Order: sequence, then C-alpha cells, then structure tokens
Amino acid sequence: MSDTDSKTTRDRFRLLLDQANNRVVAGGLIVVLLLLPAALNAFWTRIAVGALMWIGLAQSWNMIGGYAGYLDFGHGAYFGIGAFAAGITMTTYGLPFIAGLSVAAIVCAIVALGVGIPTLRLKGAYFAIATWAFAESMHELALILDITGGTFGMSLPTGADAIILPLSGPPTEMFFYYVMLALAVGTTVLAYVLFERSEFGFRVKAIRDNEDAAQTLGINAERIKRQVYVLSCSIAGLFGAANAFYITFIHPNDVLASILTDQMIIMALLGGLGTIAGPIVGGISIFMLDRMSSLFLGTSTLYLPMIGLLIMLTVLFAPSGIIGILRGEVGLTEIKDNVSELADKFNFTR
Amino acid sequence: MVSTGLLTQTLINGLLLAGIYMAVGVGFSLIFGVLEIIDFAVGQYVMVGAFAGAALAPILGSEALLAVPFVFAAFFVVGVFVQPLIHHVTTGDRPMPLLMGLVFTFGLARFIRGSVLTIAGPNSRDVPTSIAVGSFSIPSIGTFPMVRVATALFGVAALAGFLYYLYRTEGGTAIRSVAEDRDISRLMGVNINRYQSLSYGAYAAMTASAGVFIGMVYSASVGMGMQYTGFAFFMIVLAGMGYLPGIILSGLVLGIVQSLTAVYLGSEYVFFILFGLIWVLLLVRPTGLLGKGEVA
Repeated sequence: MSDTDSKTTRDRFRLLLDQANNRVVAGGLIVVLLLLPAALNAFWTRIAVGALMWIGLAQSWNMIGGYAGYLDFGHGAYFGIGAFAAGITMTTYGLPFIAGLSVAAIVCAIVALGVGIPTLRLKGAYFAIATWAFAESMHELALILDITGGTFGMSLPTGADAIILPLSGPPTEMFFYYVMLALAVGTTVLAYVLFERSEFGFRVKAIRDNEDAAQTLGINAERIKRQVYVLSCSIAGLFGAANAFYITFIHPNDVLASILTDQMIIMALLGGLGTIAGPIVGGISIFMLDRMSSLFLGTSTLYLPMIGLLIMLTVLFAPSGIIGILRGEVGLTEIKDNVSELADKFNFTR
Repeated sequence: MVSTGLLTQTLINGLLLAGIYMAVGVGFSLIFGVLEIIDFAVGQYVMVGAFAGAALAPILGSEALLAVPFVFAAFFVVGVFVQPLIHHVTTGDRPMPLLMGLVFTFGLARFIRGSVLTIAGPNSRDVPTSIAVGSFSIPSIGTFPMVRVATALFGVAALAGFLYYLYRTEGGTAIRSVAEDRDISRLMGVNINRYQSLSYGAYAAMTASAGVFIGMVYSASVGMGMQYTGFAFFMIVLAGMGYLPGIILSGLVLGIVQSLTAVYLGSEYVFFILFGLIWVLLLVRPTGLLGKGEVA
C-alpha cells in the first residue's frame, strides 16, 4: 500500500519537474528566438523565416491529420486561398497587411466550414480523396479566374503604406521574421493548450482512436471534427497571407502547388504524428534538407524523389517519427523486428 | 448552334478514350478491394509506362506497340515486389494502419514522379508508333483515328481478360476471397501473400501498359500522372468502391464527360468539372452510381 503511495508521489513529483522543465526549455527557446535576428545575416534570417513558416504549417496539418486522424490531402489549398485573399484585400482594396491577414483567416474559415460540413462525414480514404480533389480544383479555379490574375499571377504592394504600423521603409526581412515567429509560436502554443492540456484534446484523440466509441460516450464528433478542421485551415491561410506579402508575387502554380501539402504531411509524419514537438522537429529537418539540397544540388530535382523515399521509409520503419525514436518507442530492436516481419511478407510460397 | 457532326465526333472520341480509362480503373478498383488501399501512385504508373514506351520504341524500330509486352512484364515484377511493402504498412500494430497505407502510396507516387523528372527532365516526349497517322472514316458518322482505336481495343481486351480471370478461374476466386475477407481466406488455405502480390503485379503491369497507349495518343510528360490519378479516383467513386463491373459504366461516363468538356468548354475546365463531380458524388451517393460499392 505504502509502496504504491510513494510511487505515485514520486511519479507526481517527476511529472511536475518535467512540466517545469518543459516550461523553462520552452521559455528559454522563445527568448533565444526573439533575440536571434541580431546574430543572423540576411541569408540566415531568410532561412529562419522559411523554417518558422513550415513549422507552423506542419503544426496546422498535424491538428487535423495527427490529432484528429483525418488525412487532409488538400491542406495546401488553404495556404493558396489565404495568399489570394490577402493579395486581393491589399491590392484591389488597398488595405494594410494586418487586414489582409484577418481577411485570409476569415475566408479560409468560411471555405473550410463549407468544405468540412459534408466532407468530414467521409472517413479514411474518402476524406483524403475529397480534400485532394478540392485542392486540385482550387488550383484549376485560380488559373481560370480573373480576380486571382489567372495564369499571370498577382503582385502585392511592397510599399510601407501596406502596413498599419508606421515603418520607415518597405518591410524588412526582420519584420517578416517576427511575423512568422509570432504565427509559429502562436500556433504551437495553441496546439499545446488545445490538444495536450484540455478536455477538448482528449475528445479529439478519442475520435481519432475510435470514432464510433467516442460518439457512444456522448462526444459530438461531427462538431469537434469541424472545429479542428476550420481551425487548422484558417491557420494555414494565415501563413499563406504572410508568405504572400513576404514574396510579393503569387502564382497559382506556386501557392496552390500540391508539393505544399506533401511537405506539410512529411514534416508532421517524420517528426511524429499527433505530438507537439513532432512538427517542429520534422519542419526544421525537412526544410533544412530542402535548402541544403538546393544549395548542393543546384537546380537538380533530386529533392523531389528524396521526399518521396523519405515518406516511404518513415512509414515502413519508424511510423512514430523522430519523436518516437527519441522517446525510445522505436529502437534498434523494433527496427530489426520490423525488417524481419517485412521480409516475411516477401515469402510468396507460404 | 451545336453542329451534329462535331457532337458525334466528340462522342466517338469520348467512347474511344473510355476503353483505356477502363483498363486503368479496373486495376485500381481491384487493389482497393484486395489491399484495402487507395493507390495514389496509379497515375504515376501510367506516366512511367508512357516514358518506358518512349525509351524502348527507338530500340524496337520506332514501334511502341512492340514495347507493350516488355513494359507489361517489367511492371508485373515491380508490382509483385512493391506489394509486400504496402501490405506491411497496412497491417501490424502500428497506429492508423489504413491511413499509413495511404501515406505510403502517396510517398511512392512522389518518388516515381521525382525520379522520372530527375532522369528524363521536364520536356515531354513522343511515343512513336506506325499507326499514329492512320485513320478510317465511316460516312455520315465520323473519323476513327487508328491509334485511338488500337488504344480502345487494348483497354477493352485488358478489361475483359481481367474480369475473365477474376470471375472464371480458381486464382481469380482466390483474389476475390482475399478482397472479401483476408483472415477467413487465410484460414481457408488461400496463400494471401501470393495472391495479393499477384493482384498488385497485374494492376501495375496493366496500368503501365495502358500508359504506353496513352503516350501514343498524346505524349509522355512528367505532369500527366496526376491527371490519371484523378481519373482513377473519379472512376471508382462513380463505380462504387470495390465494385469492378461498375468500372465499365464509369469509364464510359469519364470518356464522354472529358471530351465534351474539352470541346465545348475548353480543356482547362476538365479537372474542375471532374473534381466537382467527384465531390458532389461522394456527398450524395458514396456507394456509386449503381449503389453497389462499399459505404464510406
């Protein structure tokens, strides 16, 4: 009796320590990130802006794909919708960047609601196909419409008047660093609070693990899935808007490309699905791989098959991702077992 | 004013395309039933098949038709060895096995596409054949380009052979039983490893061979794969997931919708209309037009 008691006390203490540690680490990390631009030159600031954006995007995909277990193969569409929503707000209506951001989030939320209400009734492969089809048709639509500039794309204003805050000149690299930092940290903290520290998160995971059972327990699965989907999609839209203002020229073939969704999926998957740290680790790894490959391979397209191969290998041998390896869930013995099990599948005589 | 001549010619072209779409759709539908996965790589097999045709034709005297048996054999072997990987990720005690299968084929599709892009470059290639220019016409009906007729014939023959094997032979019965229930089939003494691999091999071989024909009609380009993945999805959603004979109907619908849209609206609308239709269909009638597919 006393043995179990002391164990629980010790466990509780350890948990507290872990939490305190996590908070200290997270706090320290944020301070470092806030001061980072001072230590970086223009080249590395640019890399950092990209890395932050991809961490946020992977985190947003992880909400619906990792936590809710609904594989959204069309998440990139919201990145593009956000980009064009912000672009139209800022060029046609001449409103500042902050308005572009808000409009992007609102438009994405409305579209996601319209798409989500019917498609979230579909399960597994059906949902994946429906969202994939949605994204492809959005790409086609943006190429046909006049308002998006069609095949010519769209240029965004670069002047300082596009900002609500008085800036001395056109927005600098540093400005975008802090915009992306705010969005990425905001998304991560939101994901942590919602999915790891609240009842809502337990409901979402219950739906992922067994939707029928969750509904039997009185969880309104329809509504919760819709909430997660709308939230994750409008976050993707926010990043799309920020990126559009950053790169100042948007084209459907860039901001609505299917590689965007691919990258979000592999980042979350490689890092570890359904974890907070996963998209961060995966986002940084894949983004650096991307940058390094363009640095060392030049214009070679070798990066594309590498991404494909990496997806296959991760699914085959480390389905819980890098986080799974770090946590010790996937070790050398597990991989060995996995390989011998796989070899068994190649035995066609049995 | 809609000219009747143009309309009939458009319908003829649509019907001739339908044959090849059926050949792509039936394999895709089969492996959905047998392996319980949606293979995102389907369009990439079409694309690689077309490139294989383009690469082999010069060796075979500029006649891509002769490349078909080689492509069929090669991709049968490839398929047989890819299937165990898919089987592995969809079974065992990993989290979300079916979704993992989906992600795996997604990665496979990217891998194939990226590899071809890296090796062959972004330019499209002709798949040369001697029947490219020939055609015959029936007065007051329309013209039948030889290459499209050959393509349609291949599609229909492949479909017929496939359905014959599945419904009239012992091996086919085994495959259908695996599709019905993997565990029970195993208990009944069906070698599931062998039959699953056989199915995937046959599917990959047929899809890649269809790719050679599609390359002959149009050309081989890296971006074409995605389109056929879309078409294959469209067909199995229309047919009802896992319901093979439905592919005949959905192939016809796809061929006709595609050529009508391309002629009367412009080819840039083809995808938008197809994806719109998929979307509406999934919502209104997820069991397919005939209502015989599996429910979502």
